[in-house]
Parts: sequence; structure tokens; C-alpha cells
Amino acid sequence: MAAISLAKVNKHYGSLHHAVKDVDLEIADKEFVALVGPSGCGKSTTLRMIAGLEDISSGEIRIGGKVVNNLAPRDRDVAMVFQNYALYQHMSVYDNLAFGLRNKKVPERDIKAAIDRAAEILGLHELLKRRPRQLSGGQQQRVALGRCLVRNPLVFLFDEPLSNLDAKLRAQMRVEIKRLHAQVPTTSVFVTHDQVEAMTLGDRVVVMRDGRVQQVGTPLTVYARPVNRFVAGFIGAPAMNFVEVTVGEGKVSAPDLDLAVSEPSGAALQRYRGRKVVLGMRPEHLVLGEIAGRSFEAAVEVVEQLGSEILLEARLGATRITVARVPAEASVASGDRLRLSVPPGRLHFFDPETDEAIAGS
Amino acid sequence: MAMVRQPMLFANLPLGVRRLLFGLAIVGICFLFAFPVLWLILTSLRPESGVYYVHRGTEFTLGNFAEVFQDERVVEAFANSAVIATLATFFSLLVTVSSGYMLSRFKGPVSSTWFGTIYIFRCVPYISWVIPLYFVAQSWGLYDTYVGLLLPHIAVHICFFSWLMKGFFDGIDPSMEHAALIDGCTRWGAFLRVALPSAIPAIAALGVLCWLFTWNEFLFALILTGNRVPVITVVMAQFVTEMGLRWNLMAATAVMALVPAFLLALFGQKYVIRGLRL
Repeated sequence: MAAISLAKVNKHYGSLHHAVKDVDLEIADKEFVALVGPSGCGKSTTLRMIAGLEDISSGEIRIGGKVVNNLAPRDRDVAMVFQNYALYQHMSVYDNLAFGLRNKKVPERDIKAAIDRAAEILGLHELLKRRPRQLSGGQQQRVALGRCLVRNPLVFLFDEPLSNLDAKLRAQMRVEIKRLHAQVPTTSVFVTHDQVEAMTLGDRVVVMRDGRVQQVGTPLTVYARPVNRFVAGFIGAPAMNFVEVTVGEGKVSAPDLDLAVSEPSGAALQRYRGRKVVLGMRPEHLVLGEIAGRSFEAAVEVVEQLGSEILLEARLGATRITVARVPAEASVASGDRLRLSVPPGRLHFFDPETDEAIAGS
Repeated sequence: MAMVRQPMLFANLPLGVRRLLFGLAIVGICFLFAFPVLWLILTSLRPESGVYYVHRGTEFTLGNFAEVFQDERVVEAFANSAVIATLATFFSLLVTVSSGYMLSRFKGPVSSTWFGTIYIFRCVPYISWVIPLYFVAQSWGLYDTYVGLLLPHIAVHICFFSWLMKGFFDGIDPSMEHAALIDGCTRWGAFLRVALPSAIPAIAALGVLCWLFTWNEFLFALILTGNRVPVITVVMAQFVTEMGLRWNLMAATAVMALVPAFLLALFGQKYVIRGLRL
């Protein structure tokens, strides 16, 4: 049971590579936090600093109120799941699970009880005598989860644990991890480059880029109110459409576009009057048909029929935009010109220089 | 379309002929390697008068082996070679395994200096070590002693095999050791309890290579030993005397010297192949 706190944490590799920059983060006890970002954004390094596998160049990390900067990994009472499972290949599954407890000199009887419990939760009973090599990827990852579970640590750390699994298994394991966290509530930090994993698993999501935290918030917050263009484009699939527009009186316009802007973002936009800003529209918020003052026309280029919906690639002036959630039965063909609308409250605006969000209408 | 490997040469020949040619080639190559050994074995079984007519003699004898083993020096040389090879293997593995591990896992001045040092020594032609080593051994009073032969062997093994060991450890996923660190091991503990057991096939392979290298080694043994520490490769060569060449005895000794190497290669082969592939 422990909160984690990162204060002004930095990581330098030599003098040239500044991998993690001034990261501040408060993780509450039993909270599940997902660190997400493109590869090389410093999320794994941050996790490894919490685990103690990387030195901290400057700043302070606390686990359960105790500064752990100079503590060896074994003294931090954390458990970690690795991308490639990192099971001990020369030991049986049982010995893998027992390894951490044996290091703590826990009596064998108690170890057996802990393993029984973990095996029960994760369905590992038939696997206990096997070697890791004889297991499938999904089974190996369950064993890796079990290895963390039996230790009953203060903190669970996950380093892209699902990325070596195929899509179907990944979805299953995602649910399993979620179920596990509900059953055994433990402070957890989950690193992933997959925004879907981050959104579905995290109580809160931390979006990182170039070593810096961009935004921390609940999944809904980062989705609905991204603080900058990067977060807006990174969270959500398909990615948000961006169109450069000029701010006018109560509206924004581009050569093929005139959209009314309602309060309160109209007020925020006033500072930009006559200047260009970046308009963001999520593909799933674009709807077919006319809404007075909130519509524009786009030329369909590619139609992707998914069965449940249609994805469209369309051209709006010089910009390519994606439209999602088009009803599967709709008759659309490439070359068609469509009227698309954005319902009120679905527009995002970004400063073209700083990329910061201006306001959401 | 499936990729089909196209045999370029002999593609027009019927399958049977191709198989025949393939078989002949294999037999030919095996013969090329096996012939000297076969000739050696034949020679060792001929009486002294027959060694120049190995191919057409009909007289065979085991007398050469009996004669060789009555010579105390030969017996002593076998024992010495075995002891030195075993000790050299043991001590060099002790260093090689940890040095290979360091080279693979730790970056920094210590690691790169060590890397540079063994790199330089490795690049120096083997034969050019031996004269300086002779003078060093002389001045340290190590000439013609076990230690005087052991130390250079261990040094050579370290320089040559640390690289192989580094390669093996590069092939072992370090996150296993990270998991061990988090599971309560010290850095040494992670090495000894997780990395080392995973490297056992590689270590066994290296052990076989080390042992055979020292067992077969001639040059160092010739220069660095005299009468007190006879080793098998040198004793074998000493059947060339001013009285003439005792080919039959030399062959018998050589065949005996082949046996442990042969057995080790036979039973160690599995590990060598698996280890080198690791």
C-alpha cells in the first residue's frame, strides 16, 4: 500500500541525451496509472527509475513516503512485468514464482500458500511444473504477473507487457490485468505506447513526449480536453484531424470551410481574431448531413468498409481528413462530395506557434 | 508464390545422379580429413620395420603401445597434460565467464579498457608471445614448472574466449537479470543465480574448447618446459632423435593422445554446437 511521488526527476545519459526532463507525478495509493507516449519519449526510463534499474540524475522519487533514490531495486519492494516476460528460463514455473519469496527467506509452506493463491487467480495450476520455454506467450505473461502477485509488493510496474502478444491475446490480457487490479488493488504504473491500453487500463493517463509530461488526467479528460496538439493527435484512434483556419467574427474559416464557433471558446478565440489557428476535429465526431452553420463539404478519396462502420479518407481543400463512424449501410463511393457537420462542443483549437490548446467549444 | 530454391549447377542431371555426386563429394571430404588419422592409426599398429610399408604390410602388433607405456616419461607426460589442461580450463573459465559478462553488460572506462587490452593481445600473433614469455618465465623462476605453463595458457584463453563469452551473454536477455534484481538479488546474485545457469551450455562448450586447446598446444609447451614437466605434445615430438625417427612409437603416442580429445569432442559436441549457437 503505497503512493508514489516523483519530484523534478531527470535522467541524463552522458552529456548529450536528456531522456527524462523534470517529471513531476503524484500517484495515489492503489491507483492504476498508465504512462503513454511514442517510443523514445522517456516513459520506460521513468518506470525503470521507479524500479531502481536506472539511476536518477536529479530529482526525488518516493515510494510510500520514503525516498528511494539510493535504494537498490531489491530494497524498494516493487514488482515488475517485462515486455519479454523475463522469466527465469532454467527454472520451473513454480520456482519462478517462488524466487522472490525465497530471497526473502519466507518459509516454504507460506510460499506454497502464496503460489496457490496466485495460481488460483491466474489459472496457472496446470503450468506449475513446466519450464517457461514450454509455455505460449500469453501463458508466460500470466506467469510473469503471478511472479509479481506472490510477492505482494507495494507497487506493480508494467513495462509494455502486452506488446509481444498478438492482437486477440492482447485484448484478453488487458481485461485480465484490469480484473487483477480490481481483485488485488495495488498501486500500479503501466507503460505502453498503445493509447488504447492506456485509456482502457488507467485510472489516470500520463501522456509523455521527448522526456516531458504533456498531460496527466483521467482517460476522459485527456480525450475530451487535450492540453496541446500532440496529446490531441496521440490520444484517440483514428487520430484527430487538423485543419488550419482563420479566426473571424464568431466563426472560423478556411477556403472550403466556414464553421460557427459557439461560446465559450468564441471568447478565448477573440485574441486570435484575424490570425490563423489550428482547428482539431475528431474523426468520430464528424457526422454526415447538414447542421446549420456547422457544415462543410469534403471529397471522398478512400472508403474503408469495416462491417460495423465505414472509415472515410476525404479531402478538405488541401488537407486530408478522416471520418469515422459512418454507418456501414451508407452508400458512399470514392469521388463523392459529402456534407459533413460537427455538432456543438466538438471543436478543438490550438495555437499554431505553441501548439497549446486555446479552448474547446 | 512459394520460393523454390533453384539448384544452379548440375540442374539438368537426373536426381539419382545428383544424389550420387553429392554422396561422393561428402565421402571425398570426409576421406580428406580422416585419411591422416587413419594412416596414423595404421602406422601405430605396424612393427618398426613396417612403418615405411604401411599400405602393403600384413604384420600388425600392439607392441608399440606397450613399449610406449613402459616409458615413464610418456606416462608422466599424459598425466601432466591432463592436469595442466584441466587446471587451465578451470581457471580460465573462472575469469572468462565473468569478464565476458562484464563486457556484455557493463559500459564504462573499466569495461572498455579491459576490452582494449584483450583486443590488442588477441591481435598480436600467437607465436610472437612465446620468446618474451620464455624470458619472463626464466627470470621469475617459472621455467619448466606447472605454473610457468599454466599462466600463459590461461592468459591466451582469457584473451581469445572472453569474446566468445561476451557473445553468449549478449544473446541472453538482460531483463531476466533485472527481474532478479527486483526479486531481491544483488548484482552478483543476479549474475550467479540467473545469468550463469542460462549460460551453462555456452560455458560447457567453452570448457571443451579450452581443454582441447591446451591439450593440443605445442608451441608454448616446447619453449616453456624442459625435462621436469614433460607434456604429451612435446614428448611425442621427441621420438625424433639423432638415432633416427621412431615413427611407430610416435604414432602410438599420438593415437593415445587422440583418445581423450576424441572422447571429449564426442560427448561435448552437443554442448559445443548448442553453446556456439546460443
